[in-house]
Amino acid sequence: MIIITRPNVTDAEIDHIRERIESVGMRTHLSRGEHRTIIGCIGDESLLEELPLRSLPGVESVTPVLKPYKLASREFAAERTVVRVGGRDAHAAFGGKAITVIAGPCSVENREMLVQTANAVRKAGATMLRGGAFKPRTSPYAFQGLGSDALRLLAEVRSETGLPVVTEVMDARQIDLIAEHADMLQVGARNMQNFSLLAELGRVRRPVLLKRGLSATIKELLMAAEYIMANGNHDVVLCERGIRTYETATRNTLDVAAIPVLKRESHLPVIVDPSHAGGDASLVAPLAFASIAAGADGLIVEVHPDPECALSDGDQSLAPTAFEQLMQQLGAFVTAAGRTMSGASQEALAVA
Amino acid sequence: MSDSTPADALAELAACRDEIEVIDREIISLLARRLTLGKRTGDLKRVAGLPILDPTREAAVIRRVTTVAREVGLPSEPVREVFWQIIGMSRQIQQAARSDRTEGGSRSE
Repeated sequence: MIIITRPNVTDAEIDHIRERIESVGMRTHLSRGEHRTIIGCIGDESLLEELPLRSLPGVESVTPVLKPYKLASREFAAERTVVRVGGRDAHAAFGGKAITVIAGPCSVENREMLVQTANAVRKAGATMLRGGAFKPRTSPYAFQGLGSDALRLLAEVRSETGLPVVTEVMDARQIDLIAEHADMLQVGARNMQNFSLLAELGRVRRPVLLKRGLSATIKELLMAAEYIMANGNHDVVLCERGIRTYETATRNTLDVAAIPVLKRESHLPVIVDPSHAGGDASLVAPLAFASIAAGADGLIVEVHPDPECALSDGDQSLAPTAFEQLMQQLGAFVTAAGRTMSGASQEALAVA
Repeated sequence: MSDSTPADALAELAACRDEIEVIDREIISLLARRLTLGKRTGDLKRVAGLPILDPTREAAVIRRVTTVAREVGLPSEPVREVFWQIIGMSRQIQQAARSDRTEGGSRSE
């Protein structure tokens, strides 16, 4: 249930409405926009049946939210959410007018390759660095990542380049360690429904990049976001990364329609991972263009200084020159979509 | 502040941090006092035959702290979150005390 308040509602009226809702055992969430304020009710909605919500002072309308996700739903927020990442020294934002591009290697292999990649992607216009430390691989015999050594390298390169860092967390036990080094915590596709991990991430004060599971529906993705939000962390960025279909020519099938659907259903920012979606370097650019055209708020792209020698995901990684070309071509799509490139990206494009 | 030297600033920073440490200790001992009282109210509710969960009372507590926070110029939403956490702690302690008693009771039977 959401309650939309009158334009001139007072703080005391809002307090009273919330007290009435909370006194039946529900919780409330306040979203103040420029033009309206929304009070979202969370909990068992049958408890509200007895309450004369419409007649409380300050209430304009009462609307049921029929979706199973509440905090993540578009109705719950007066305005679209902008998720801010990092601090003063290194920052990025998702969900505003600007498109934010995250780039970097699938996994951190050594210091030299990380520095090389970070400098190259920054020059090309990326405003955030990705890099895997703990890699969940399909085979237990495949390279599993450098672990805490990779986290230290990421933190070092972050301070050298000013690029905030996102890295994947696979296990609730790693959260504190990773949050110490990274600006944003990624939940990989294979962990999208790891509910104990999601609940723990709800208690962290770090934005979460939530990737859609290989076989997850849009509703399931939003319910996963709801888990994080219900536990207190509202800074969630959704990521479409391709789903499993009967098609074998591509690694996954990029669900382009998911982008406008997610943006219609939710106030959370949506970004796309064209590298995993196609599984092939040659598909990254066209899928990136399609994503921006469909309304994505950003991209996360795998870049490796020498894709042929990459320890993981070499086939889908772009070489720095190919990434630079992608970023240059992307500009026209960004403009056509009525968006801008995020601050640092624009400077880089101006230089290029 | 503009007149002070970096050395002065560092000295004052250290003093501020000392004071913060003292305040943190005070907050924790106040929290301990509040939780002790919460446990006591739990015992009293049991004797009076009332349930532990009292949403009306919780909502009134939250509304009161929201108003107080606003009066002293603090952002009310984070203060509400802090107090929901405190209420949650208090509820857990009351529930633990009640289940200890139930378990003890069943053993003696």
